[in-house]
Amino acid sequence: MSSLGPLHGSDSELVGLKGARSVIPRLGGVPGFRDLLPAEAEVVREAQESVLAEMRRWGYRHVITPMIESTEVLELGLGAEQRRRLFKFADARGEVVALVGERTVPVARLVAGKLRGSPLPMRLCYAGPVLSTDDGRFHQRRETYQVGAELVGASGTVADAEVIALAARCLQASGVQRYQIDVGHAEFFHGIMDAVKLPDEVKSAVRVALAARDFVALESLLEGTPLRSAEHELLLRFPGLRGGAEILQAAGGLVRNRRSERALAELAEVQELLVAHGLVDVVSLDLGAIRDFDYYTGIIFEGYGPEVGRPVAQGGRYDGLLARFGRPAPATGFVVQLDLVWEMLTRASRPPALPRIDAAVAWTGSGLKTALRLGSTLRLFGMRAVVDTQARDQAQSKAWWQTVGAVNLIHCRSESTVSWTARGHSTRRLPPEQVAGRLAGGLR
Amino acid sequence: MTVGSAQGANSVKGAPKSVAKVSIALPTGALMPGALRLLARAGLARLSAQELGRQLLVDRSNIRVILVRPADVPAYVDQGAADLGIVGKDILWETPGAHYELVDLRFGGCRLVLAVPLASKLDGPETWPPQLRVATKYPRTASAWFEARGQAVEIVRLHGSVELAPLVGLVDGIVDLTATGRTLKENRLRITATLGESTARLIANQASLKTRTDAVQAAVGRLREAVGE
Repeated sequence: MSSLGPLHGSDSELVGLKGARSVIPRLGGVPGFRDLLPAEAEVVREAQESVLAEMRRWGYRHVITPMIESTEVLELGLGAEQRRRLFKFADARGEVVALVGERTVPVARLVAGKLRGSPLPMRLCYAGPVLSTDDGRFHQRRETYQVGAELVGASGTVADAEVIALAARCLQASGVQRYQIDVGHAEFFHGIMDAVKLPDEVKSAVRVALAARDFVALESLLEGTPLRSAEHELLLRFPGLRGGAEILQAAGGLVRNRRSERALAELAEVQELLVAHGLVDVVSLDLGAIRDFDYYTGIIFEGYGPEVGRPVAQGGRYDGLLARFGRPAPATGFVVQLDLVWEMLTRASRPPALPRIDAAVAWTGSGLKTALRLGSTLRLFGMRAVVDTQARDQAQSKAWWQTVGAVNLIHCRSESTVSWTARGHSTRRLPPEQVAGRLAGGLR
Repeated sequence: MTVGSAQGANSVKGAPKSVAKVSIALPTGALMPGALRLLARAGLARLSAQELGRQLLVDRSNIRVILVRPADVPAYVDQGAADLGIVGKDILWETPGAHYELVDLRFGGCRLVLAVPLASKLDGPETWPPQLRVATKYPRTASAWFEARGQAVEIVRLHGSVELAPLVGLVDGIVDLTATGRTLKENRLRITATLGESTARLIANQASLKTRTDAVQAAVGRLREAVGE
């Protein structure tokens, strides 16, 4: 067996360690944290740039909030479970700080604090890694990459629809080939819970069962109650309350409470607005959407792509958060999970390829200066060019060319002539400026 | 079916592949015969244990059946490699996830119990020592259960023959699954508490329910009906 990581206790019997006194560095990194290798890093970064660019096209201003926030600030916006999952530590002054697990709360801090002089509504977007101590939250990852947008200070369905349409266009911009957006409403659920005739302790058990998506427990809770109403039926059918506009009609016939009825009316408006935004068959209505109902106050939504069993985008209306920071304002927003975008892109029929390197520029003797000049020229034309760090003759340069993996090899021996080999072509001797010209023109 | 395309100049396209086909993860072991009977009764697939045991993966026109170890079923479903899964509630206690737990399939009934040697003085909570030592294959469930009762517990995680651990003095008792209680009796152990009652459950991936609602809900409906029969 080979030694793959730090070994504890008596490890002197392991192959390769006998008598070794030095500690093997932890080359794999800390569990739950991943290195993004060139292929993945390139895709994640490009997706991030495309999504941020789409957000800026809609007038959202980019802000960068720190990796670390005071736990006092985060506690204003996060539930007990989310707080438990934060990486926390004390800084030199004894203040307890945490690595951010999401950035909606930091953005709320900005809007109520440093941006309090700016008029509402305000459109902000952001990107960056977020962390969690609990590897279950991001599916075995404790660090993940998110891009988000928040529309603060606008209530009403026009704002809801804007944010949903933006989320859809962001998924499109990221390169995901097929996606769908499920739109629901937190108030629909609250209305049902108000209306359903159950003792308080059963109601809270119902909430727990729904949050855990445990419909077996939900069924047995509701079976034990003598009174049965339309609301009972709706709760039991929660995962199936999904579809087009017809689902609003069906649900409208069952609910008899103002909160749920108003929610259905808002959903109908949002759906119409989304059609006007140009989104037709990517939008479904999901009255049984289960989310953090203590946080969301209105329209909620999730974006799904192919082949990945988790939502790639999530968001909704949270009108209560800003007040906790002293600047009461309605707000809605969403995040896109870049890690999941990457998973979808790599599982697509044509996974993204690592961008090619156009030219490997080798040199020997006085060819060095030519090589450096040629490298600059090629980059000026937007090509990717690597110049060798050591002299090699032409035969040796072929092997180096392979390790670089470039399309073209250019070997410089003097100022006047260079040898140019394009993949699949024979070697030609030409003046350097002619080689640069032909490469820039896409000639072989 | 709602996976589709956005209108406009930059529209996306592509018909989703195998929309109507549903994949289901079944557990090896004690629950497999019941799971296969249920699939047959629901009219989804007629498979023999031998056939599935040989192949582990059977593709039919309307369904794909994947045979995995019981504890792996939630992983397949949570990650979306299977739309549906049949799994014991005991496994779900131990590995909670983002799946939907939809139907109690009412077979494979058994209990998760705390058992101690016949000769032991331990019985109800009042007899437990300040720090209880317990061996189990269910460390998460066991520690949560004791924690909820304010009992400090040291969990020894074992992978098999848990019954042996108290007999050789490794632990005070065990938390283990039992259907008939026979194995416990044979090893001269007695049950002092029940942590929970388990049966087979139908679980579903959250995205499958949303992106391929019709096919997945249809399969869920047929399985649900087959349970009553």
